Amino acid sequence: MREFTVKFHPQGKSIRVTQGTDILSAATRAGIVVSAPCGGEGVCGKCRVIVDKGSVKTESSRLVDDADRKRGVVLACQTLVESDVEVTFTKESLEAHEHLCHEAEDFTKGVILKRENKFPLSPLISKVYLELTAPTADDGTSDLDRIMDALKGRVGALRLSTRLTNIKHLSEVLRESDFKITVVLAYREGAQEILSLEPGDTTGSNLAFAFDIGTTTVAGQLIDLKTGTILGTRIAFNAQAVYGADIITRMIYASEPGGMAKLNSGVVGNINEMIDDLIKANKVNLGDIYAIVAAGNMTMIHLILKIDPSGLRKAPYVSTVSAFPPVSAAELAIEINPRGIAAFLPGVSTYVGGDIVSGILACGVAENDDLTLLVDIGTNGEIVLGNREWMIGSAASAGPAFEGSGLTCGMKAVSGAMQRIIIDANLDVKFETISHVAPKGICGSGYIDLLSQMLKRGVMGKDGKINRDTASGRIRRVDNNYEFVLAFASETAIDRDIIIRDDDIDNLKRSKGAIYSAIISIINKVGKDITDVKKIYIAGGFGNYLNIENSIFIGLLPDVERSIYEFVGNSSLAGARMSLLSRDAFNATEGIHKNITYMDLAAEPGYMDEYIAALFFPHTEIGRFPSVRL
Amino acid sequence: MPIELIREKYAGAINTVEIGKSSSPNALKIGGQTGLPFLFDEGKMPNAPIIAYEILDCPPDDWPENLKESYGRVVKNPAKWAKACVDNFGAQLLCVRLESMHPDKGRRNVEASIATLKAILSLSAVPMIVLGTGDDERDNEIMPRVSQALKGENCLLGVATQNNYKTLAATCLADGHSIIADSPIDINIAKQVNILISDMGYDAKRIVMHPTTTSLGYGMEYVYSIMERGRLAAFIGDRMLAMPFIVFVGDEAWKTKEAKEFGKVQGINWEITTAVSLIQAGADIIVMRHPDAAKSVKRYIDWMMGKQ
Repeated sequence: MREFTVKFHPQGKSIRVTQGTDILSAATRAGIVVSAPCGGEGVCGKCRVIVDKGSVKTESSRLVDDADRKRGVVLACQTLVESDVEVTFTKESLEAHEHLCHEAEDFTKGVILKRENKFPLSPLISKVYLELTAPTADDGTSDLDRIMDALKGRVGALRLSTRLTNIKHLSEVLRESDFKITVVLAYREGAQEILSLEPGDTTGSNLAFAFDIGTTTVAGQLIDLKTGTILGTRIAFNAQAVYGADIITRMIYASEPGGMAKLNSGVVGNINEMIDDLIKANKVNLGDIYAIVAAGNMTMIHLILKIDPSGLRKAPYVSTVSAFPPVSAAELAIEINPRGIAAFLPGVSTYVGGDIVSGILACGVAENDDLTLLVDIGTNGEIVLGNREWMIGSAASAGPAFEGSGLTCGMKAVSGAMQRIIIDANLDVKFETISHVAPKGICGSGYIDLLSQMLKRGVMGKDGKINRDTASGRIRRVDNNYEFVLAFASETAIDRDIIIRDDDIDNLKRSKGAIYSAIISIINKVGKDITDVKKIYIAGGFGNYLNIENSIFIGLLPDVERSIYEFVGNSSLAGARMSLLSRDAFNATEGIHKNITYMDLAAEPGYMDEYIAALFFPHTEIGRFPSVRL
Repeated sequence: MPIELIREKYAGAINTVEIGKSSSPNALKIGGQTGLPFLFDEGKMPNAPIIAYEILDCPPDDWPENLKESYGRVVKNPAKWAKACVDNFGAQLLCVRLESMHPDKGRRNVEASIATLKAILSLSAVPMIVLGTGDDERDNEIMPRVSQALKGENCLLGVATQNNYKTLAATCLADGHSIIADSPIDINIAKQVNILISDMGYDAKRIVMHPTTTSLGYGMEYVYSIMERGRLAAFIGDRMLAMPFIVFVGDEAWKTKEAKEFGKVQGINWEITTAVSLIQAGADIIVMRHPDAAKSVKRYIDWMMGKQ
């Protein structure tokens, strides 16, 4: 095999590779971090480079349009080195490191905010400062008993325990600190465990993390347990995405040699990076963090715990564990205080996980008298219907489109994402981005606005095809696809136009169809009608904005009285936070997960029919959307 | 004790579609029924199902010999072939498939094919269904020309699909033809195509649906239930499913090895049985190939209609 040199601009780095190596691999080996959320499959179109010199063999991609092709743009992952070459990275390929975490606002909204104070502040981690009297000849109580006796007066009748590591250091800590110590206690399974003994009074600082672990998106928050204050929020695309966009592919990957380790370190890496970033931003010590509470789907939690998820994929689809005991964070390589714990909210079934149990807790579904619906729009659209007496839950594979993944210009709900979009009668586009900066892409709530506006203005037909007869310079044909330009390159923060294409719409159409048809199927299953539902909570990683009217207009949500809808933001993260801050809340998840009956949509005879009917804007049965006038 | 039969009565009706010049005595009406096929106690069936004889605009190269021989030498000349169908077998409706213009079948130029169509029209004065090549890109080139050439004939042109309906719908609208809306054995998609076509300003009452079928032995019960479901939806008032059905029985039946490889009689019987099943499912236009099969099915229709 011949060897060639690849030189990268603007970094100025070079590397020798064998003929036929792809440029993405070469760059990775040269230590350059390139944005490639699809992991080099050629489907995300982010790793765009310009070949300046030399000869390459490249697969033409629909993601590179004619104008770009002319200036030499290729996808690094689809381009093989055939001579010495020099390439320049586009701004986009280097700027948006999709898996890295981004600062985000807290998205909690509506009923959850009102409910957060309902649970008394009794965090999973508590700190007690003790000033003990030193032992004397008359008082020969052992060091540990001395602490236990003092604690009993302070924390009530809870069972106390500790581990050998603490006992070994006990004598030393007590004497060095003159018998003035802080005991760090963790609440687990009805008992209090002494996690650690710290010299002096450290009760001033008690911090922990809440996480929502999704297939596509991971969100984390640093919480002050003394006050319940959120000190910062981060979100990132799940780093596992390079091993497959959907959960099934990842389960299959987990069963391959070395697969589990890679998936595990991907998501644990996400968690650690967020912890590190938030600790630095808030100038606090890692040693002060004694707990994380995470809510996530069943597969994600299995992968964090390195439990084989293969049972989740094969009939009868049983998980190894649904209620997880808290474990040592260090055992999971989660970088907080080495004595800290990691707790996970319990799930219901393979496809209705702790994230939805968390959402039910956050919204109070299990406390309502009225029939309540919770719809969590994620890669798996999870739906729970019920009230204080019964609940039924299901999951629809909606795909990651509403999280901004898998679309030509999709992105997470972070700075630079178009989140509100209006198309006027002249087909001019007005938009608002998160943080009011120049746009980089479109997030889920932006896509909902966009589809509804395109439908309303006739830019797109009811079948979701861009109307080729529309007179507008924003509509153009690329190969056999039509695309609509929202912002031309000069208006954006990336070096190309922000567009939506026919196949993006197709993707979004399947997502909205899956969610709507799941809602209807679950309501039909229990013999109810949509009009029997008195409250609908919509959750998901939509940033701080979701237009319910537009969601109905495109047929994502049922056309019912608007006032029963409430957008609550990331309810899974909010529930994890509530569980961290209150033992009552944490204990409540136990009851919730046992109270939900799981319904398998794939086994419902009418589901497929509902789904196909929902692959239309707003719906094939227009009578179901009386308020939508087209 | 006498048993009282339960009789369903429906409020809705299937649209009546007229094919052929209304001034012509040969013009036909299909549809218009208010109940399931031949259940005359439940609803009316003002128009009998009609058999259309399928011919090509060129000699058929992939029809089995058993089938081709039934027409003899005339298959070499589409106009004579058409005339034979009308004169010898009593065809009331012709279905011309424009196969010669297909990119894989010689890509004959459109003027030549239009001349063939005109020749057919002048020799046989019955209404006509005209089908494109089945290649979307080619059909979008040729069908506007064909449609224009047949302006005033009130033909039924096909087929408009979910992914390619605009050109054909626009051209049918301009030239006053009825249109065939195709869907892949799915009631929802059938309805979606009907909505899309009528959203272009095309009168939904001039659409004829092709639900996609199969032949005997290849999943007939599924097709049957899809067609029946569409009908029941129409009878309870769904205007976007109230279109008559067209089914391509000859094409489906003569594709099977049972029809091609086990002698002439079995092939004919295969086509007959497929046709009868689909008529019972609600088919309004039955496009057939073998004249003996078509004659048998015609007798069956007359016999069933005689009970009205």
